[in-house]
Amino acid sequence: MPFAGFNMPINYKTGIINEHKNVRNHSGIFDVSHMGQILIENNESYLCKLEKYIPLQLNKLIKNRSHYSFLLNKDGGVIDDLIISNIDIKDKSYLYIVYNASRKKEDEEIFISCAPNAEKIYKKNCLFAIQGPDSINVLKNIIDIPNNMNFFDILISKYNNKEIIVSRSGYTGEDGFELSIPNESAENLITHLLKNENTMLCGLGSRDSLRLEAGLSLYGHELNENITPIEAGLSWALDKKRLEDKNLNGNKILSDQLKNKLSNKKIGLISTNKSMLRDGMTLFDNNNNEVGKITSGCFSPNLNKSIAIGYIKSEFNTDNPIFCEIRKKLELVKINNLPFVKKNYKKNGSVYE
Amino acid sequence: MGAYMSEKKYTKDHEWVSIENEIATIGISNHAQESLGDIVFIELPSVGNSVKAKDEICVVESVKAASDIYAPIDGEIIEVNNNLENDAAIINQDAENEGWIFKMKISDSNQYSDLMSEDEYKQFLEQ
Repeated sequence: MPFAGFNMPINYKTGIINEHKNVRNHSGIFDVSHMGQILIENNESYLCKLEKYIPLQLNKLIKNRSHYSFLLNKDGGVIDDLIISNIDIKDKSYLYIVYNASRKKEDEEIFISCAPNAEKIYKKNCLFAIQGPDSINVLKNIIDIPNNMNFFDILISKYNNKEIIVSRSGYTGEDGFELSIPNESAENLITHLLKNENTMLCGLGSRDSLRLEAGLSLYGHELNENITPIEAGLSWALDKKRLEDKNLNGNKILSDQLKNKLSNKKIGLISTNKSMLRDGMTLFDNNNNEVGKITSGCFSPNLNKSIAIGYIKSEFNTDNPIFCEIRKKLELVKINNLPFVKKNYKKNGSVYE
Repeated sequence: MGAYMSEKKYTKDHEWVSIENEIATIGISNHAQESLGDIVFIELPSVGNSVKAKDEICVVESVKAASDIYAPIDGEIIEVNNNLENDAAIINQDAENEGWIFKMKISDSNQYSDLMSEDEYKQFLEQ
């Protein structure tokens, strides 16, 4: 399937549902080399320029930690969502940013304008995500992973004597790791990992159903340039101090949104029969008034029902019945808190939500 | 193999049809099943409906997409495979036998003769 200029597999041999369950119960490997990866030198002048777009205090990022954040346009709309980390490579401090393939052009224009010598490394480094509760066991004899590494920790390790970037992260709701590895060692690593018979290659299909069950937003669906992180229910990811800073794009709009009632809210939905909820379907109240739209929908292997994320008008009382138009018929759907499946991240030696 | 293999023909929309005593049994081809991926739901047609060839009469939902099933020929729906209601994945396991979807009483057997043979369908897939 063509995806952001790449030819990507929706699934491998055993199918989406099987790949999905393998990640929830054991582990699975995703080739996400299509995503953007860039290194930006950690210097005051670059950080200051980047802070116009990124709602974090970039000079206070803790070394060897990652953060979920955004690039914001002048109205506070989301140009992209991304993971930004502070790491040292060969004794030099960098911001390492991983961003969406479909937004490379927009993102890189900003990165390069702020830091002209920013280094796009995705041409020379592959990116793999290994996800699921067994990920640590699949990885630990192959790559050195310290016992105290928590979710969203990041470090430099080695494979085949080559430096690789290892972060404990991912986008499935499970514990897992992302590995940025030089192209010439990538195939070796994958072959090596796949020797463990409990893991398997997984495609875009299961990546989507896993992130949807975990209630995670996807750019182009829940997020776009006309929606702010607050409207998308992601205000936790904003550094509130930065909202007072005029240097931040859309700071006034965002501060106002935090104080006032929003016009829409993000919700989870579950099908009440076997119909499939899909992106773009319209939601109605019991008087046939349009109250919202679905932005992502899929079959949930864990719930054995279709699930969806969408936006509805804030004034809609969620105790009232809500209907989804599926092939010209209105079908009752149930509102469900996000996430649909509990997150299973590792923190301080224990697994927490 | 199965009882429906006797005279199997195919449509360009990837349905298969076999006929015994003027009763046509219809399903989707193994190729269609493979490209749809895991099938999770099927909306079966209504028994008693009279349909024309090319009418959309039911929908198969897979994890990837919804796809319409068309009537391959004119006729009346006389039976549907209720097993699929609880387990649509039967189509993935055995699309061209146990995964049959509905039966029709056909009105014009010439329409059936115009469909592709198994070899012709294979060639059609290679194009």
